[in-house]
Amino acid sequence: MTLESLAIAVVEATEAAAVDFMVVGAIAAGAYGVPRSTKDVDLLVAVSVTGGVAATIESLKPIVEFEPQVVFDTLTWGRRHVGQSRSTPPFKVELSEVFENPFVQEEFRRRQQVFVPMLGRPTWLPTPEDVIVQKLRWGRGKDLDDARDVLAVQGPETLDMTYIHAWCARHGTTARLEAALAGIPPM
Amino acid sequence: MSNLHEDPAALKALQDELYRAKVRRARAMTPEQRLAEVFELSNHQFGMMLAGAMHRLGTRDEAAGWAEVRRWMQRLDRVRDHGLYVTEKPAGK
Repeated sequence: MTLESLAIAVVEATEAAAVDFMVVGAIAAGAYGVPRSTKDVDLLVAVSVTGGVAATIESLKPIVEFEPQVVFDTLTWGRRHVGQSRSTPPFKVELSEVFENPFVQEEFRRRQQVFVPMLGRPTWLPTPEDVIVQKLRWGRGKDLDDARDVLAVQGPETLDMTYIHAWCARHGTTARLEAALAGIPPM
Repeated sequence: MSNLHEDPAALKALQDELYRAKVRRARAMTPEQRLAEVFELSNHQFGMMLAGAMHRLGTRDEAAGWAEVRRWMQRLDRVRDHGLYVTEKPAGK
């Protein structure tokens, strides 16, 4: 199964369960920055429909084996459901639940619908500003590279830098933002 | 010809030029084209990993190769995600 086939299946399962979502992670970063490979299909999913996430997981069971326990990330304490495709290649699927976190709520509210020809359907993505803020918040090596790449490809002059600076100040990631900007050579 | 690695300024200039080329290329693409490239690169990456695993095992058995790729991915996850995830949320979080 290709990554795009898996992404289509995950998006369709989510929509069938009436769960609002947006695609995040490397796929979202690649839409706005420098494309790179990934092993994950990552979605941020709303929990406003009771049982919606469980229904999504249930309908994906034939192709994705989910871990029996949810996990919490130690940065924001968000809940996520992690699975691996049953077929090869062993892609991962992560469904992170929207939760009571001001930034997570805001980035989800601002999500944008984009038509993706390779998926043959529209899908939901965060804004480039929210990808940058989120990547700087996570701060792993690949996240910092993704944040710099989105800043470089979009260009700070086209981005709402006031919004980005404000969230980075709240998250204590202003130094990471400044380092990312300093890492972009003059174009 | 001098060794570029002994000339930090020249090395930085080369790194910057390579990065500029990557950014210019990405800027010339539409979001849809960039997304398509994420999918292509990801599928290709696993193809290369399978080839590497089969070579390392000295086998032509694809199933054995994929099992080895899965093992590699699990090890990679353990390293990359160390300390980032827990299965129980502490009280008060």
